Amino acid sequence: MLELRDLSVHYGAVRALEGVSLQAAPGGITAILGANGAGKSSLMRAVSGIAPVVAGQVLLDGQDITALPPPARARLGVAHAMEGRRLFRQLTVEDNLRLAWSFGARREKLAASLAEVYARFPILETKARTAAGLLSGGQQQMLILSCTTIRNPRFLLLDEPSLGLAPIIVQQIYGFITDYAAKSGIVVVIAEQMAALALKVSRQGMVLRRGRVVLAGAGEELLRGRDGTTLAASYL
Amino acid sequence: MDDFFFSLLLAGISVGAVYALIALGLNLTFWTTKTLNFGQGSLMMLCAMLTVFISSQGVAITLAVVGSLAVVAALGMFIERWTVRPSLQSSGGSMGWVVSTLGFGIFLQGMAAKCFGSQAVAFPDVVFNAQDFVTLFGQYISLQYLVVLAVAVALILAFELFIRRTVWGQAVHAVSLDPELALVQGIPVRRLILGSFMLSSILAGVAGVLIAQIGGTVDPAFGFDLVLLGFVAAVLGGMGSSLGALAGGLLVGVISKLVGGYVSTAAEHGIAFALLMLALAVRPQGLFGRPEVSKA
Repeated sequence: MLELRDLSVHYGAVRALEGVSLQAAPGGITAILGANGAGKSSLMRAVSGIAPVVAGQVLLDGQDITALPPPARARLGVAHAMEGRRLFRQLTVEDNLRLAWSFGARREKLAASLAEVYARFPILETKARTAAGLLSGGQQQMLILSCTTIRNPRFLLLDEPSLGLAPIIVQQIYGFITDYAAKSGIVVVIAEQMAALALKVSRQGMVLRRGRVVLAGAGEELLRGRDGTTLAASYL
Repeated sequence: MDDFFFSLLLAGISVGAVYALIALGLNLTFWTTKTLNFGQGSLMMLCAMLTVFISSQGVAITLAVVGSLAVVAALGMFIERWTVRPSLQSSGGSMGWVVSTLGFGIFLQGMAAKCFGSQAVAFPDVVFNAQDFVTLFGQYISLQYLVVLAVAVALILAFELFIRRTVWGQAVHAVSLDPELALVQGIPVRRLILGSFMLSSILAGVAGVLIAQIGGTVDPAFGFDLVLLGFVAAVLGGMGSSLGALAGGLLVGVISKLVGGYVSTAAEHGIAFALLMLALAVRPQGLFGRPEVSKA
């Protein structure tokens, strides 16, 4: 269980999050929706420990981790795919995977973990010796997802996994995420601007606007809307 | 090839390998924090002076070297914690570390002068003395130079293997590329930075002992020129490149020794800085500076 209690994140005078609370149970996807600058990334960065939390708490399975540094949180099973396709661009595909595995939970041997990744995304095996910065956008996103899952996380945070990708690739990526969430039974949180896309696969969703929660509920409910306009209205 | 040229060449390669060692130490902290420890020169001096002092108390020379290296390693961690970290944490991405590391170096130099006196003291022979030589192809080759060269090259190779082949070496590389991503991936960046300053100081300490062995004496002012020469080697080869550090070190070592031998020893160090200016004007990324690999 991932829990946020009255969480506030301020960057100097900029208030990115104000009193946001959330409970995300394992075995389902939680969608964090909202326009650009609504606070989606700040929420995720607060969980992985790289955002300045000024008030409130972050709890993992009831343990307060608000004061823990990022590597300690990673050791507790937090994996965060940051926005902007963050990879070690000068390192090869395989080096990126090996590094992620080395500092992860290491439940399986490296070779077995790599084989699993390559079975899922064969193109990554073909490009194993290529610098990650030279991959296409879709391939980079596959690598980023694989770098988080190869760590055997318990709390998976994905920031805009669809951003800037062709629709066919987005489908493939979302297919992978849904499968992984169902198979692993861990906590998965997705930040997404394309609301319908994320809500379709999510158990619950929450809409942020200027750092505050303006709408929250079951995924299905948010998608249909009680009168069909709630979701659109909350964006305005 | 005449004897004079050959002996200058050997001396140049030998001290050049030591400059490369200093350059590697500078590279290491540059990778993890984008800072350089300008107190390195004083650490070189301190390591050599402590070795002289400890061995003068009747301790075996090798033990004295190891003990001095331990002291220098601890000081390296102290420098990271108390001179570099506060500067990097202050708002506005301050360059204060330039002054604070240099200042701490000057403090160490002053303390050494106070404790051991400011006179040059003789550095004991660790393995061979200055008169030992072998004959190869009809040339006299000083064994001290050979040992210094061998130790420096062995350390450079070990360092390279560590960086390329181990997980921790890869982690150092990762931190240099994207520190935030490294943190999120669970790499203990703080400890890695502390370790990089420790290792960098040990490299400086070894370099200090090696140079003192060749020069035969050491005094509190020793080391300051040397770290600048190491810096020239690092920039010349391409900041952050290990191969560049080696090439830059050898280039600086050989050219300065040749100039010292054929022109004037007074010009020995000056020529290194002329090289630096030339390199910055013609090829600012250094001999082995790499272009960025990226695709939008």
